[in-house]
Amino acid sequence: MIQKINDERLKRKNLENTRILFIVQTAGIIGILGYDLVTKGMEGMTGNPLWFVLILTGIVSAYLSMSISVDHESDKKSPKKGFLTSIAVISVIAIGLGVAVTLTADLNTGILIGAIVFICFVVPYFYLYYLRKKQED
Amino acid sequence: MKNNVKIARVQMDMTQAQLAEQTGVTRQTISLIEKGKYNPTLKLCLAICDAVHKSLDELFWIDKEERTDDTKNK
Repeated sequence: MIQKINDERLKRKNLENTRILFIVQTAGIIGILGYDLVTKGMEGMTGNPLWFVLILTGIVSAYLSMSISVDHESDKKSPKKGFLTSIAVISVIAIGLGVAVTLTADLNTGILIGAIVFICFVVPYFYLYYLRKKQED
Repeated sequence: MKNNVKIARVQMDMTQAQLAEQTGVTRQTISLIEKGKYNPTLKLCLAICDAVHKSLDELFWIDKEERTDDTKNK
């Protein structure tokens, strides 16, 4: 029968082992995708479901490391001020990009690209705001 | 880090296995703590203190000079 591990040292060891497993797995995924890239080209690689796994892992890892970065920040930034500045900057970039796309394609595509860029940046900024706010408490 | 767990355990006439059972860890962990090769969490330190009826100070306090020597050894 498998017993639940209560020993803190072994629990820690288990986590360290998981880290090694993660490295092996990531190396394997990158290896397979690299092979696909060489044999089937870029589309062959992105068509592989492992590509989705790699991208998803990258996103999750970026979000997880955000909480570490916030704790690591040495100067106390006002969360609200930082968030509003980021929103203002990304709004300008999204609108600019939307206008640029509209010049070469139609208006709908421009709006769509602008909106996608805006949302893709707003979500992590909002998460950052939430983390900084939580850290203040 | 160096500690007095072994002395306290022997004074209580306990084996490593008995201390391990009382604190809810494996005997190997107790052995590593006694040898100073594993730093237990505060929770486990307190459990050990309870088991051998000693205070944290008596079991785990070490002088500053010895502490710096320990870091060098690591």
